[in-house]
Amino acid sequence: MKSSLSFIRKTASRGVPLPGGHRPAGDAHRPEPGCVRTWRAVAPPSVAAWILALAALVGATTRSALADEQLFGFVRGAETLPKGRSEIYQYATLRTGKAEGRYYGFDFETEVEHGFTDRFQASASLIHHYFNNRGVDGDRDALDDANASRLGGVAFSGKYRIWSPFKEPLGIAFRLESGYLWHDEVDGLLQHEFYLSPEIDLQKNFRDDTVICNLNVGAEWAWGKQPAEQYPREVSLQAAAGVAYRFAPNWFVGAEGNVRAEYPLFDLKHFEHATLYAGPSVHYSAKRWWVTLTWTPQVWGSGVDEPNDGRTFAEEVRHKIRLKIGFNF
Amino acid sequence: MKRIQYCAVSAILLSAATVHGASYHTVESAQKACFPEGAEFIPVPLTLTKEQMKAIEKDSGVRVRLSEQKVWRATRNGKPAGWFIVDEVLGKHEFITYALALDAAGGVKSVEVMNYRETYGYEIRNTDWRAQFLGKKHGARLKLDEDIQNVSGATLSCRHITDGVKRLLSLHELVLKK
Repeated sequence: MKSSLSFIRKTASRGVPLPGGHRPAGDAHRPEPGCVRTWRAVAPPSVAAWILALAALVGATTRSALADEQLFGFVRGAETLPKGRSEIYQYATLRTGKAEGRYYGFDFETEVEHGFTDRFQASASLIHHYFNNRGVDGDRDALDDANASRLGGVAFSGKYRIWSPFKEPLGIAFRLESGYLWHDEVDGLLQHEFYLSPEIDLQKNFRDDTVICNLNVGAEWAWGKQPAEQYPREVSLQAAAGVAYRFAPNWFVGAEGNVRAEYPLFDLKHFEHATLYAGPSVHYSAKRWWVTLTWTPQVWGSGVDEPNDGRTFAEEVRHKIRLKIGFNF
Repeated sequence: MKRIQYCAVSAILLSAATVHGASYHTVESAQKACFPEGAEFIPVPLTLTKEQMKAIEKDSGVRVRLSEQKVWRATRNGKPAGWFIVDEVLGKHEFITYALALDAAGGVKSVEVMNYRETYGYEIRNTDWRAQFLGKKHGARLKLDEDIQNVSGATLSCRHITDGVKRLLSLHELVLKK
C-alpha cells in the first residue's frame, strides 16, 4: 500500500494559495493556473539531484505493502517466503490528528503474496480508504468535511533475497513496488497516480535470532498526482528502521521509526515536507497466522510554509496506528 | 447485526487458521528410534555450572541458554552403549524439541525431531537431512552449507538444529565424558 511513510498531499482551504502547495478544496478537480507554490527554492533540477535520485533508486522505499511475516508495522525484513508457499494479509491503518478539527483516515489493504522460488516472492494488493473528518480547516491542513469511503487502488511488488539473515552475516533483499491509485489517502481526492518504489531491505539478527534489526532504505517516484495535488509528480526519499526482541515464545516486542521527505517535480532542491514517525510495536505469531500492532506518533515534522514547531500536518497526522494480520497457507 | 456477523466470521477464520504444533515422538519412542537394537536408559540429572556453560560456549561457539539438560546414559547388557539427550532450540516462534543420540565413542548415532510447531521448515524431519549428522564427533565443523547442507525455506531451523548438535557434542566432550 502506498503509505507507510508517504502521505501524499492535500486539499487546502478556501481559495488562497496554500502552504505546501495545497489546492483549494472546491477546486480539487480543476487546474490551477494561477496557483503559486511557495517552495524554498526554485531552480531546474541539477545533475547532483538526479544522481541522488538514481542512488536512491538502487536503494529503496518504506511503503507499507507486505512481504513475509512482519514483526513491525512499517518496517520490512529481508526474508522471503519459501517456494510454493503463500500468505494473505490484511492491514488496517488509522491516521488521526491534525492541527485542528477531527480527522480519521483509515487505510485498508488486502494483500496476497506467493513465493515463486526460495529467493523471490511477489504480491498483489487492493487498497481502500475510509475518511471521517470535520473541522479540519486551519491554514496548514485544510480539508473538506467528509464521511466517505474510496477505492484507493492496486499495488504489486516483487522481492528478491540476496542473503539470508539466518545464514549469512547480513540479510539483504531488493524490493520493487508499483501501483495505480485512483484516490489519494489524505482525504480521498481523485487522482491518477502511478508510482514506482524500489527499496533495499537489510536485516541483522542477534542472540539466536531473538533480536531482529531491520533497515529499509528507498525512494518513490510518483506520476499523475493531479488533480488531487497541485503538482503532477514528486519523488520521496524514505527510510525505516526497527528493533524487535522475542521476549517469549511467539511474542516479539519492538520499536520502530520511519522518515520520509517529499520533493515535487522530482527536484530535490524543492523540499515540500518531511516527517519522522516512531513508536512501539508488538507481534504475536501462531503456526498459521500472526498479528502485529504498531503505534507511531509523529515525532518530528517540517513543512514548507508551516509553523516551525516541529510538526507538519498538511499531508501528515499526529498518530498512525496499524494492525496487520497475516495467514499462511 | 453486521458487527456480530463480522465477529463471527473473524472467529471462524482465526480458529480455522490456528493449527497446533505436531508432536512426532515421546521420550520413550525417540529412545527406541535412536537405539533400535535396544538399550536401557538411566537418567543422569545434569545442571551445568556457569563455568561449564562458558566452557561449552567457548568450545562450540554456540550460546548455552539453559543450565538444565535432560540426559540419559544408554547401556546394553551392562555395558555403555552411548548417550541420549533431549534438547530444545529456538524456532522462529517456538521451541523445536529434538533428541540426539551418541554412540559409545561419542559419534552422532541419530537425530530425532520430537516436536515441531513452526509454520515452515518441517523439512528438517527428512531422513536425508538428518543423516548428514551421523558419525559427526566433537571437533566437526558443523556449519551450514559446508558439511551440513541447508534446506531452502527451512534455513532458521536447519541452522539452529545444527548449532544445537554442535553444542551437545561439546557438552559430551567437556562434561559427560568426565
